[in-house]
Amino acid sequence: MDWTEILRFSRGPLFHFSLIIFIAGMIYRLVRIIFLGWEKDRVKNQGSKWSGVIISYLKGLIILPFIPWVRRTFRNNALTFIAGGLFHLSLFLVLIFGEAHILVWQSLFGVSWAPLPNPIVDWLAAVGIISLIILLINRLTHPVLRLLTKLPVWINWTLVFLPFVTGYIMYHHLWFPYEVIFSLHLIFVCLLLIWIPFSRMSHFLFYFFSRTIHGARAGKRAVSP
Amino acid sequence: MKTASALNTYLKETGGWVAAQLEACTRCGICAEACHFYQALGNPEYAPVWKLEPLRRAYEQRFTLAGKLKLALGMEKRLTDSDLEHWSQIVYEACTVCDKCAFVCPMGIEIGPLIHKVRTGLAAAGLVPGNLAEATDKQKTIGSPLGVTDEMWRERIDWITDEWEADIPVDKAGAETLMVFTSIELMKFPDNLAFIAKILTQAGENWTVSSKGREVVNFGFFEADEELTRLFMHRVFQAAEELGVKRIVISECGHAYEAFRWTAANIMKVPPGLEIIHITELIHQYWKSGRIKIKEGAFDGETITFHDSCKIQRLGGLINQPREILQVLAPTSFKEMTPNKEQSMCCGGGGGVISIKEADSNRYAVFEMKLEQLQDIQAQGVCMTCSNCRLQFVDSLAHFNSTIKVHSLAELVAKALI
Amino acid sequence: MKEKSIYEHLKEKGLSRRDFIKLCGTIAGMMGLEFAPPVKALGKMVHPDPTEMVAKALSSQPKLPIVWLEFQDCAGCSEAMSRSSSPLLSKLVLNDLAIEYHETLMASAGYQAEKAKEECLKDYYGRYVLVVEGSPTLAEDGIYCTVAGKSNLDLLREAADGAAAIIATGNCASFGGIPKAKPNPTRACGVGEIIKDKPVVNIPGCPAIPEVTTGTILHFLIMGKLPETDHLKRPLVFYGHTVHDHCLRRPFYEAGKFADNFDGDRARKGYCLYHLGCKGPITYNACASLKWERGLSYPVQSGHPCLGCSEPNFWDGGGFYQGQSAALIPPAAKTSALAAGAGLAAGSTLAGINSAKKNRAKKALASAAENSPTDSTTAAPPEKKEE
Repeated sequence: MDWTEILRFSRGPLFHFSLIIFIAGMIYRLVRIIFLGWEKDRVKNQGSKWSGVIISYLKGLIILPFIPWVRRTFRNNALTFIAGGLFHLSLFLVLIFGEAHILVWQSLFGVSWAPLPNPIVDWLAAVGIISLIILLINRLTHPVLRLLTKLPVWINWTLVFLPFVTGYIMYHHLWFPYEVIFSLHLIFVCLLLIWIPFSRMSHFLFYFFSRTIHGARAGKRAVSP
Repeated sequence: MKTASALNTYLKETGGWVAAQLEACTRCGICAEACHFYQALGNPEYAPVWKLEPLRRAYEQRFTLAGKLKLALGMEKRLTDSDLEHWSQIVYEACTVCDKCAFVCPMGIEIGPLIHKVRTGLAAAGLVPGNLAEATDKQKTIGSPLGVTDEMWRERIDWITDEWEADIPVDKAGAETLMVFTSIELMKFPDNLAFIAKILTQAGENWTVSSKGREVVNFGFFEADEELTRLFMHRVFQAAEELGVKRIVISECGHAYEAFRWTAANIMKVPPGLEIIHITELIHQYWKSGRIKIKEGAFDGETITFHDSCKIQRLGGLINQPREILQVLAPTSFKEMTPNKEQSMCCGGGGGVISIKEADSNRYAVFEMKLEQLQDIQAQGVCMTCSNCRLQFVDSLAHFNSTIKVHSLAELVAKALI
Repeated sequence: MKEKSIYEHLKEKGLSRRDFIKLCGTIAGMMGLEFAPPVKALGKMVHPDPTEMVAKALSSQPKLPIVWLEFQDCAGCSEAMSRSSSPLLSKLVLNDLAIEYHETLMASAGYQAEKAKEECLKDYYGRYVLVVEGSPTLAEDGIYCTVAGKSNLDLLREAADGAAAIIATGNCASFGGIPKAKPNPTRACGVGEIIKDKPVVNIPGCPAIPEVTTGTILHFLIMGKLPETDHLKRPLVFYGHTVHDHCLRRPFYEAGKFADNFDGDRARKGYCLYHLGCKGPITYNACASLKWERGLSYPVQSGHPCLGCSEPNFWDGGGFYQGQSAALIPPAAKTSALAAGAGLAAGSTLAGINSAKKNRAKKALASAAENSPTDSTTAAPPEKKEE
C-alpha cells in the first residue's frame, strides 16, 4: 500500500467529500429543527433579555469551564469542568493557531494569520489529549454517565481522540512514517467531519441556541443566568 | 393507549425550542451535580437529563432519522406503558422542577421547563401519582386541593378575622387589588393571611379577596396538565374581571407565581391591563415608597437566614427585595446560607412532591442537605416567601427534631410594623 | 584469461597504495558503510573495517560493466552526474571503476554506438548493471520513445534480459516522473512496473542526487548485491530519513517561526518554509544530509521549499507553493452552495413531514378530549390565545 497515494487521496477527494457532507448535514440538521416552529413569548419582561444573553455567554465561556470552585455544587465534579474546559480551549487554539491548520484554513478561505509557536500548540495538544483521557475515565466510572453513555457517545469520544492523538504523534515523528500518520490523521478528521452532523457533536451549533434561550429566560426574569 | 397519548403530547409540544435544546445536550452529566435528589439519594436515574428521556425518545424516534436508525438497529426501544410508569415515579417523586440544573448546565439547557413537558405527557397518559391526582381532582371539583369548600373558606376567613383582628374584605366592589391566597396558608398557616392583611391595611391598599377566585395554588401546573392549569387560573382571572381590579397579588406561593406571572400570557387569555405581582415585591414596594415603616433591628440577635425558593427567587427574580428587608430587620444577625440566590438548593417539597406520600423519604433525604446548610451557619430562624417551602420546612424540621423556627417574610414584616 | 582487478587498473594509472586506501575510505563513506555488516570470524561476530572491505573488493573485483539507457527524460540526472559535487568520485566510478555504454555521454554515435551496446550486452551478459534514466512509456506499444527504430519497451526488455541488477535513476525512471503528470498521454511509468523478474532499485529525485546513484553502483560493485530498500525500493541508506528530519531550518519549524513570503523579513532571516509549501516532512531523500555541489547547499537551504521530488507523483500533489496540509480540492463556492441547498431541501422535507406528524398528534389529542366525558362541575376551559 502506497501511503503517499493514500495521503493525496485523503487531502484531496476524501476531505472534499467530507466537507460537502458536513455542510449539507449541518444545514439539514439546522433547518430540520428551526422549521419545527417557535412559540411567541407574550409574557411581560421583568429584566432585560439581552443582558441575560450576554451574561449567559460570558458565564458559559469563562466561569463554568474554568472557575468551578466558585460554586459548591460544581466542586463535586470540578475535574470534569476543568478537563472539559481545557479540552475545548485546546481544541480551538490548536485548530485555529496551529501552523498546519492555518494552511488548511488558507486553502479553504484564502486568508491566513500568524500561528502560535509550535511548542505552545504542542503543549495545548497534550493538554487536550490528557483532558480527553480524564473525561473518558470519568465517563467510565461516574454512575450517571454510565447510564447516559450509549454507543454514539463512545464513537464521539473515539473520533475526537484519534485526530488529536495522531496529530500529536505526527508532530513528534513518533513510531510511524510521517505520511502514514498524516494520512491517518486526515482520515480520522474526515470521519469526524462526516460524523458531526449526525451526532451530538453538532452541539457546537446548538450551544448557541441553548445558551441564548437560557440567557434570555434568565434575563427576562431579572436573575443572573 | 397511555403511550399513544403521551407520545402525541410530546410531538405536540416539540417545537424548535424543545428540539434545539435536546440536540444541544452533550451527555456530560453535570446537571446531576446540581440536582438535590441525585445528590441526596445517589440514584443515577435522578439525573435531570435522564428525566427528559421520554421526551427525547419521542422526539428522536418520531422526528429524526438518527432515532429511526437506532430503532431499526435495536439500539433503542420504543416507549412503553411500563417505561412511562417508571418515569412517572422519577419525574413526579424525585423532581421539584426547581430548574437549578439549567443554571449549571454548560450548554444552558432549560432542563426544568423540559421536565415540565415530560410531566405534561405523563399527565395526558393519566400517569400522575395517586395523591397528586387526587388533590388536583379536589381542586377541579371543590376548588381547593386541600378540599376547602366555599363554606369552609368563609368560616375560615371569618375565624382569622376574629382571631388576629385582621381586616379581610371579601368580594369588595371597586377594589384595586385582588389578593389571592393559598389553601396551604388558609389551613396550615392562617396567621399568614392575617399578617398580609395587616400589611395591606397599613399601606392603605384598596384591596379585597374573592370568593370565586379564592385559590392561587395551581395543581394543574404541578401535574403539568395544560388544560387544568388554564382552568384554575381562569377562575382567578374571571374573578378579577368581575371585580374590576387592576392587579392580582399572588400570595406566598412559588408555583402559582410561575403559572400566573410567567406562563399565563403564553397559554391563555389574560385580561388586558391586569398586573400580576408577588406579595414579596409588593411589600418591598410599600417599604421603599414609605407606605409602610418597619422597625430597624426588630429581629436582631436571632441568627436568621433566607431560603431562596426556586420559583420566586431563582426563576422569579425577587432575590434582592427580601434580603434588603431582612437586612433592616436583622442587620447584624442576618446570615446567608451557601449556596444561595440563583444557586440555592431547593427545599425538596415543591413541584407537587410534598403532596405525594411515596415521595416522603426522598423529600426528607433532600431536606437533610438543607438542614446541614442551616446548621452550618447555626441558624435559629429561616425566612422564606413560599408557603410550599414553608410547609416542607415545618414538616421536615419536625421530622428531624430540629428547633429552627420557620418564618414567612410577611410574618416578620407584619410583626415589625411601626 | 583472468580480468584485471580494479586495483590493478588503478595501479597502472599510477595510483599509489596510500591513495588507493584513501579512496577506499571515501567510497566506504559514500556508501554509508560506517558500520559494515558483521561477519563471522574465528567463531565470533566481528565488524570488519569498511575501508578494508572496500579495498579487498576493489583488489579482487574486475571493472563493473554498466549499460545506461535513457527514455522519456531531460538527461538531467546525467547532467547532474557529470557536474557532480565530487567530480573525482563520479569520474572515478564512471571511468575507472566501471566500463559502460551511455547514449548521451559516449563519444560514438549512430550505428557505431548501437554496435557498441550490442557487444556490451553480449559480452557481459548476466554481469552488467542496467541504469535507466527517464520513464518508459506503455502507450501504443511504446512508440512515443524510440531509439534506432526500436521502441523503448523493446530496448528496456532487451537490456534487462542480461542485467544482473537494474538501477532506475531519477523520478521518471523510478515512478514515471514528470512524463507521468496528468493526463499522462504516453502512459509513462516506472521501470519496476515493466521489469518484474530482475532486482530493481529506485533512486528517485529530480534529478537524483549523483552521489546516491554512484553510491548505489558502488554498493553493488563492492557488496555484490543491491542495497536494502524501503517499500518504494529506494535504498534505505539514502532514503531512510525525510528532508525535514535533517533540515537546517528545522529549529525554526519547532519554534513556530515561518516565512510567509519569499521576499519578506522572515524569509531573509531564514525561517522555516513550511508555510510556503515545503514538502520536507513527507519527502524521503538525502538532500539535507548529503547536500549538493560538494555539500554546498540544498534547495531548502537556498530558500526554496522542498518539492518532494523523490516521492511518486510529486508533480500532481497540489501546488509546489501550497502548504502540505492544505486541502487539495477545496470545495468551490458553487459546490458548497449545492451541498447547503441539498441540506436545506432534505431538512425542510423532514420538517414538513414532522409538522404533519405534529398536526396529526394535535388532532388525535383533541378528539380524545372530545370523547372523554365532560365534567359538569368545572367551567369550560378557556381557549388558547390565538394571534
